[in-house]
Amino acid sequence: MSSSEPPAPSPSTHPRNLFRVRGLTKHYGEGAAQVRALAGVDLDLAAGELVVLLGPSGSGKTTLLNQLGGLDLPTSGELSYRDLDLTRASEAELTLYRRESVGFIFQFYNLIPSLTARENVALITEIASDPFSPEVALEMVGLGSRMDHFPAQLSGGEQQRVAIARAIAKRPDVLLCDEPTGALDVRTGIVVLEAIERVNRELGTLTVVITHNAVMADMADRVIYFMDGNVHHQRRNPTRAAPSTLEW
Amino acid sequence: MLSQLDRKLVRDLRRLKGQATAVTLVMACGLAMLIMARSLISSLETTLAAYYQTNNFAELFVPLKRAPNYLGARLAEIPGVATVQTGIAVQVTLDLPGLDEPASGMVRSLPDHGEPELNRLFLRRGQWLSAGSRGEVLVGEAFAVANQLQPDDTLAMLLNGRRQTFRIVGIVLSPEYVFESRPGTALPDNRTYGIFWMPYREVATAWNLYGAFNSVALTLEPDAYEPPVVAAVDNLLRPYGGFGAYGRKDHPSHIRVTDEIRVLRVLSIGFPIVFLTVAAFMTNSVLTRLLSLQREQIAILKAFGYTNRQIVTHYLKFAAVIVVGGTVLGTVGGIALGNVLVEMYTLFFRFPDLSFRLDRHAVIVALVVGLGAVLAGVFSAVRRAAKLPPAEAMRPEPPASYRPSLLERQGLGRFFSTSFRIAVRNIERRPVQAMFTVAGLALATALLILPNTFKAGIAEVLDFQWDVVQRQDMNLGLVEPSGANIAYELERLPGVLHAEPARTAAVRIHFNGRSRQIGLRSLEPGSQHSRAIDSHGREITPPPDGLIVSAKLAEVFGAKLGDELVIEALEGRRSQQSVRIVALAADFTGIAAYMDRRSINRFLGEGDVISGASITLDHSRRAEFLRALKGIPRVSWVAIKETMRASFRETTARSMGLIQTIYLTFAVIVAFGVIYNNARISLAERARELATLRVIGMTQREVGAIIVIELVILSIIALPAGLLMGTALSAGIIQSVNTETVRIPLIFTPYTYTFAIVVVIIASSASALVVLRQLKKLDLIGTLKAPE
Repeated sequence: MSSSEPPAPSPSTHPRNLFRVRGLTKHYGEGAAQVRALAGVDLDLAAGELVVLLGPSGSGKTTLLNQLGGLDLPTSGELSYRDLDLTRASEAELTLYRRESVGFIFQFYNLIPSLTARENVALITEIASDPFSPEVALEMVGLGSRMDHFPAQLSGGEQQRVAIARAIAKRPDVLLCDEPTGALDVRTGIVVLEAIERVNRELGTLTVVITHNAVMADMADRVIYFMDGNVHHQRRNPTRAAPSTLEW
Repeated sequence: MLSQLDRKLVRDLRRLKGQATAVTLVMACGLAMLIMARSLISSLETTLAAYYQTNNFAELFVPLKRAPNYLGARLAEIPGVATVQTGIAVQVTLDLPGLDEPASGMVRSLPDHGEPELNRLFLRRGQWLSAGSRGEVLVGEAFAVANQLQPDDTLAMLLNGRRQTFRIVGIVLSPEYVFESRPGTALPDNRTYGIFWMPYREVATAWNLYGAFNSVALTLEPDAYEPPVVAAVDNLLRPYGGFGAYGRKDHPSHIRVTDEIRVLRVLSIGFPIVFLTVAAFMTNSVLTRLLSLQREQIAILKAFGYTNRQIVTHYLKFAAVIVVGGTVLGTVGGIALGNVLVEMYTLFFRFPDLSFRLDRHAVIVALVVGLGAVLAGVFSAVRRAAKLPPAEAMRPEPPASYRPSLLERQGLGRFFSTSFRIAVRNIERRPVQAMFTVAGLALATALLILPNTFKAGIAEVLDFQWDVVQRQDMNLGLVEPSGANIAYELERLPGVLHAEPARTAAVRIHFNGRSRQIGLRSLEPGSQHSRAIDSHGREITPPPDGLIVSAKLAEVFGAKLGDELVIEALEGRRSQQSVRIVALAADFTGIAAYMDRRSINRFLGEGDVISGASITLDHSRRAEFLRALKGIPRVSWVAIKETMRASFRETTARSMGLIQTIYLTFAVIVAFGVIYNNARISLAERARELATLRVIGMTQREVGAIIVIELVILSIIALPAGLLMGTALSAGIIQSVNTETVRIPLIFTPYTYTFAIVVVIIASSASALVVLRQLKKLDLIGTLKAPE
């Protein structure tokens, strides 16, 4: 592992550390056809950080995100969220973890087509323990006026902002975004990034964004480059660029 | 060599095997019914025709008092008459060991030498009567089986009042008694009623009928027209106490067999239609799902140069495989059902050899009808998919658009949970799919109503007949009408609590050119036994003049209260009289006419006579009474209510149990299949949506609830609809057996409805559980990727 920056503070001792990842591997398949998606990742992620994961296709970014989100179990290594050992958590513990602590944002929004914007958010606020109201969450992403529209009546950017509102309404500690602007044009993409950045800044949510788009790295506190299933190098930005200043 | 497209077909089918199986099973139910019913019709018809032909079943039948044997030749001279067979038929009482109640039966004569010309017997076991024999008897199979009688057993009979013992030489069948039963009863009671054959000489001697006959059977020339022959025969026999000739269509045994064939015809059309409609829709929904999944594949095939026709054919083959599978299963099921039903028929019908023969045409018809139904159901969807231009087809389908449901548009939305909204909106977006799921579930519910309604109806008939109308414990008939004082004689027998006289006379009733031959029965004012009841359940008091008739008879005649009917006596002096209808009796079996006993005797020109009696017994002295009764020679037959009731109950329990099992199986298959199909499609179409819900923190149970709520809503609509449908279906089918022989009342009980609801709920829940297990396999990571 090489790094152009001084090593980050020791993760185990960092008071605001949320994730501790050590020697994490994930293999798919058997024998000759085996794919090593993660090859011994060491990583710590702290509360309030905005982290951008960069790297080519197949470098393991999404696999790592799936492990962080409790969607998949690793092959070996350590992975814990606060005091929860995600490698040994039961199905019910993982469900509860996703319900209470994690917000997901997908490239293709994944809204429930039969529910309006407000109801898509309410779906989560009905089951979370201390949520925002759907209206507050939608206001935060600038959709206060389109709350009663169905997904089919919203533009792509609007749909993605509903997805963000849905993800943050539960006041998660972690927001995981997989290519959130991948299906959007530049202008719409920026509006979405602004919403993500604002949530991170105002709520102090640890935000991990996967992207192919190196320009987006400028808005992060920390940029992690992935290659062949491992962290290639990391850097910290001295200042975060506002999303509106990004161009691609 | 399979083409590549066929290879794809095989793999698609393998992938959708659960749903393909569900559709195949539902279709197989309908086709099994079709194949079973058509095959049974052809089995029964061929067997019946062959039996009638081989054994020379007659075409006209005439009972009479007594005519000299030479009259047979006169009958044969009537134009149109081909063959004449005269003989004797008499009622006997039996004394069976181990049966404390007297059994009764009918003895028929056989020529002393050679076989009869008509109505020849079929020897099942043992031997024929030996020439010039005495003390030998042939016994009808149904009675022999019910009483475990074998050749060489002995049988004691009261022949015209004299007790005589006979040796059974053979067990036989007769085309006249395919349905072997006491005249006028709806179900056979083979334990206490049998048919026996003896040489003419023996019967004639015992009844003082030597040189005479009291029953004639005739066949007609091939081109003869029946009515003029009937008129001529009646004319000739009237002076000899002829009761009127009737043809096969009024022959009690023949009616029962042809009625059964008629019911099968209804089954062979009605049921398959309903099942196939549901199956066709299910195929449509499975295929529509497959087509939308394979939009891009279709586009690529077209881009590579496959024609629309090739693509349409490819997908239609998918449907065709289901139909062929359904037909194969349906044939197997039809054969199995047919064999079981043939087994049941042997409870009622006696043929030399009734076996189930598969009607091959029926299989072809099933295949063609099945293909037609399914192809009609899917053709337009397949064609539409095939016609889509490749470029358009390669783009993913636009996102589904939804809107608030009807209920929410009424402002009720705030009462709904989010899961409930998802369910309601989904149903509204796919109204046709929802409608057919509802229709399928409703069909399953409806199927369950019918057998219990039948059962309740039959129970009501029996209760009405024996608790309300005939309150006596037994009826008995006399050899000949006798003075009314015999009733007092009977009353003095041990154990008799009360005896009432009865007079029955054979009459023909005419109205407006229609006529019916029936037994005119007597009513006693203030009777404790037989009575007539009107449609409001009130007892009708017989006035000194005037006639009470079954409402059904009035309906058949198109007559109403106050109309005058003409009654023509078929015995005694053959008097005729016009009588006004004074009341309509609500009864369920047969058609009857009642008059005051004295009026009947006046009309017949006889004194104070009776032809039988009804009796109530002290049950603790029943055995004593029956022993005493066996010694009264003038009694020709006895019908004990409890025995008949038990026998009815046993026979109906067996046949209704079988029918109920069949309907239950079909209903479960339909409910299970329809729910399975619906849930699988929901799951497949919404896998991404459901996986997203799991990813964002819903438990498997919460996600399952969304599908379940939808199914519950559909069931809540389907169950009442099914109850209504079942009620209508039962009413329709039961009305269709509203005949002059039996009218089953429509009795819908809470049990009937509860049973249907519970069975459908259990079958649907089991099916839903099977599908919901698939939720475990939801690909959570896949949802993060691009949509399919």
